[in-house]
Amino acid sequence: MTETAFQRQKDLPKSHLLSAGTPMCAGCGGLEAIHIAYDVLGENTIFVNAAGCMTLLSVYPFTPFRGSWLYTAMGAAPAGAQGVRDALDILMDKGRIEVADDLDVVVLTGDGSGYGMGISATSGTIDRCLDYLYIVYDNEGYGNTGQQYSAATPHAARTATSRCAYGHKGFKKDLFSILAANGAAYVATAIGSEPLDLAQKIEKAKSISGPRFIITLAPCPTGWDFDPKETMTIGKLAVRTGVWPLKEFTDGKVSHNKTFSKLLPVETYLEQQGRFRHLFEPQKKEAVLRDIQNSINRYWHEVATI
Amino acid sequence: MKRTLLTGNGAAAWGARLAAVDYIPAFPITPQTEILETLAYWVDNGDLDTRLVTLESEHSMITAAGSSAATGVRTFTATSSQGLLHGMEMIYTVAGWRVPFVMVNVSRGLAAPLTLESDHNDIMAARDSGCLQLHCATCQEVLDSILMAYRLAEHPEIRLPVIVNLDGFYLSYTREPVAIPDDDASRTFVGEFDSGSIHFKAGAPLSHASAVLGGSTYSYFRYSQHLAAQRGLSVYEEIAEEFARTFGRRHDAVEGYRHEDAEYLFLMIGSFATKGKEAVNSLRDAGWKIGLIRPHMLRPFPVERIYSLARGKKAIAVIDQNISMGKGGVLHTELASALYGKPGAPPILASFIGGLGGRDLPYEELFEIAKTLRDSAAAGATPPPRLLYTETELLEMRKLQAIAGVRIPFEEVHHD
Amino acid sequence: MYRIRFHGRGGQGMKTASRILGRAFFLAGYEVQDAPRYGAERRGAPIFAYVRAAKSPINERGIIQHPDLVVVADDSLIGLPAAGVLSGLTDRTIFLFYSDTDEKSWQHRLNLKNTLFTIPVDTQAVDPLQRRYAGVSCVGGAARLTGVLDQATLKKAIEEEMADRSPHTVSTNIDHANATFSLLAQHDTIIEEGAAISAVGYEPPKWLELAPDPAAICAPAIYGGGTSSKVQTGLWRTMRPVIQYDKCRQCWWICSTFCPDSAISVTENRYTRIDYDHCKGCMVCVMQCPSHAILAIAEKDADKVTLQEVPS
Repeated sequence: MTETAFQRQKDLPKSHLLSAGTPMCAGCGGLEAIHIAYDVLGENTIFVNAAGCMTLLSVYPFTPFRGSWLYTAMGAAPAGAQGVRDALDILMDKGRIEVADDLDVVVLTGDGSGYGMGISATSGTIDRCLDYLYIVYDNEGYGNTGQQYSAATPHAARTATSRCAYGHKGFKKDLFSILAANGAAYVATAIGSEPLDLAQKIEKAKSISGPRFIITLAPCPTGWDFDPKETMTIGKLAVRTGVWPLKEFTDGKVSHNKTFSKLLPVETYLEQQGRFRHLFEPQKKEAVLRDIQNSINRYWHEVATI
Repeated sequence: MKRTLLTGNGAAAWGARLAAVDYIPAFPITPQTEILETLAYWVDNGDLDTRLVTLESEHSMITAAGSSAATGVRTFTATSSQGLLHGMEMIYTVAGWRVPFVMVNVSRGLAAPLTLESDHNDIMAARDSGCLQLHCATCQEVLDSILMAYRLAEHPEIRLPVIVNLDGFYLSYTREPVAIPDDDASRTFVGEFDSGSIHFKAGAPLSHASAVLGGSTYSYFRYSQHLAAQRGLSVYEEIAEEFARTFGRRHDAVEGYRHEDAEYLFLMIGSFATKGKEAVNSLRDAGWKIGLIRPHMLRPFPVERIYSLARGKKAIAVIDQNISMGKGGVLHTELASALYGKPGAPPILASFIGGLGGRDLPYEELFEIAKTLRDSAAAGATPPPRLLYTETELLEMRKLQAIAGVRIPFEEVHHD
Repeated sequence: MYRIRFHGRGGQGMKTASRILGRAFFLAGYEVQDAPRYGAERRGAPIFAYVRAAKSPINERGIIQHPDLVVVADDSLIGLPAAGVLSGLTDRTIFLFYSDTDEKSWQHRLNLKNTLFTIPVDTQAVDPLQRRYAGVSCVGGAARLTGVLDQATLKKAIEEEMADRSPHTVSTNIDHANATFSLLAQHDTIIEEGAAISAVGYEPPKWLELAPDPAAICAPAIYGGGTSSKVQTGLWRTMRPVIQYDKCRQCWWICSTFCPDSAISVTENRYTRIDYDHCKGCMVCVMQCPSHAILAIAEKDADKVTLQEVPS
């Protein structure tokens, strides 16, 4: 990333396009990522949204968007983007609108739709080489319904549907690799607590055509059970512990944007969140913690080997 | 105008072509696929300046249809049966967006058990969606209805999707002579698409299909959709009038056939209604005073028009090609609510269910239905609902069950 | 029938409080309805819950129009019209506030003649969202005011509703409920059951014949951008971030970027300003500010602090 307008964090836009007054929770990590993304995308953007927390961004007659927005349904947002993109192309081809009237089509969904219900529609857009950007805000559970586990919930996390002593028995789906294997033009992970990286990735995605994806981990005070003021702290720890690798897939290659000679132990990330408290209280579950740490180590070992 | 042989599917494709649609999100399903194939062929040949995209499901297809219409292009799509149900969430959703497009549904019975043949349970499931519905009896009517459907859907007071329904096999794969209107005349009739206030483009911020909080706000939007749908009847009548003036063919919201001096009426929709007309002719020859009424438009439901045709009759037989499990025929219920308590409403409203999964509706059954009407009127009591099924059919069924390893634990007596 | 409405903020345990009271009535032989009511609002946003109790089966449903008792677990809500604390009050509506401000002051401030009780705040926590026993303290008081619920019933109700909590949490909650139950001893049985709604002399609804609007008007479409700024999410805030400009190093790209709600704008001379109409009080800025220039103060003390002007 050499030709970026964002060399340092102070290059980020000074004014914000997304209006305040939305019903997202105080300290919402997803909302923070979206306001950064929107500032880079600009107002000539249409967000096509699926059911999730962010559906409530626009509740009649209130909208935070200066551009456009279309709510569809939980499994349908990428297909909604297909109709809008195709229609805009047709209108320009037939001279019914000016090229200057064109919009960037951006799908916005949570992990429930992105990792689950909408994945068939998502895959379809890659098959058809649809020119759009898809932003997933991944808060690792069905947050808007009270944080039940989803395909994005990490191993051992307590959710409303995994309240047992162990927590969630499943493992987080590797959506990044699925999208890359499907042939996406661009796939990246990002997080709002690393705004410069996020802005650079939005900027890069905007410059590429074809199906593009940015999966942003969205620390969620409500669903992960931590004080809202800790949202960015926890986000930074997700990166520093190696839980959330910041990476990109372009031209058939995966590259990591942030690597560390030494990762912080994963416990520093886990112990700050109520959803993992059962791994520390009443007594420490050493074996589970070791498994989690090992899986992170294994991932980064493979990265280093490649 | 040229007259040629077309299947119902072919007529549907011609309807979309003559309406100069911009965009076709598609997905194959029997018995609709021929529509998609025909349109794809024309697009590939350059006969049609249209973008056709095959989605990966009907759920996506209907979403794309709604979102393209919301962006401001004229959109056509088609489905059937399981596909309609797979997309049903979006059928309701896009109707709520208040955006116009036309969708053809080729009626086919629903699983389980799976069948490829026709009945109306699929389209009845979309009855309350907010999409308007036109039901076709002939291949000609399929083509003509699509042209009229665009006018109806795009009317600024309506702006709702319109579903044009035709029966699988009985129309979809059946060739009939169809008059294909001229390109220019069709385009003049349908006109340019104006999406009005709903369109997405730079410099015109629009947040569409937002959530609402609170029952009063929700009610306003839902009532408005209902009132727009109801307004659809008078708008349709104006369009049908203009269509008749332009093309010489009249497609009333409700067709009446030999009904004026009739004492008894059949009420049917779809392609079997033409067979119903033929049964009326035979019965008339045998001295009966009987006629038929056929709602071409099912949503909005033309209550007053049906009442005016039914008023003063002795008895009506509603022949439903659908079944609401645990209740019976859907149209029978609709008609009862349309006529109840009105002066001169027929005292006998008999329910017959037939034609499920493509089962034939033989003339003899229609004659017998007429006889049942007459007997009921004489007795002054509505007969119990009749599921049309014969001893022969059950006997054949038993043979299949025997092969399937089903043991029938009782003796059945069959009359020869 | 008793009609009791609880007001609080998301995260303050109003649902649990209403359920404890509902359970107590049920254990005392009453028919009961209890329900929380919330929309899209989140932690810190005003919410309410309600309890109905009667000796005969309850047919009434939905929100309580005219409450016999209004319980408010967070007194910062009382002055907010959006919270609807005073909604539907009648002459006989009794109020119970969890507040250190005394009864007379509230009656004066609200211009109310209604009977009003307060329960003193029993915690040092400055942030109302951290007052973990507000709800249960209110329940203890409410139970006493009805006069038909005793302490043994209340204890059992708390134990049953908090069965998944630790024994220590349960016993602390019981202690808090008992304290307020005792505190209001002299007002035992002050609440009377409300009567059924009369079908005589009511005000008829003004139904209209709804005319169809053109689709452009009646589509669920918002024409124009940024209307959410009309929503004052600042009302959710219980703690307020305050920038001390004498310590501010003008690294606007930190607090303004990290604020999830676009509530920190950058001034011409590169200071930042917090938009209190919309700041939800998450305190992310307080945590992220590298020079510790942003203070967190309790919202109720906000008017006691002089805000520093943005330097020119």
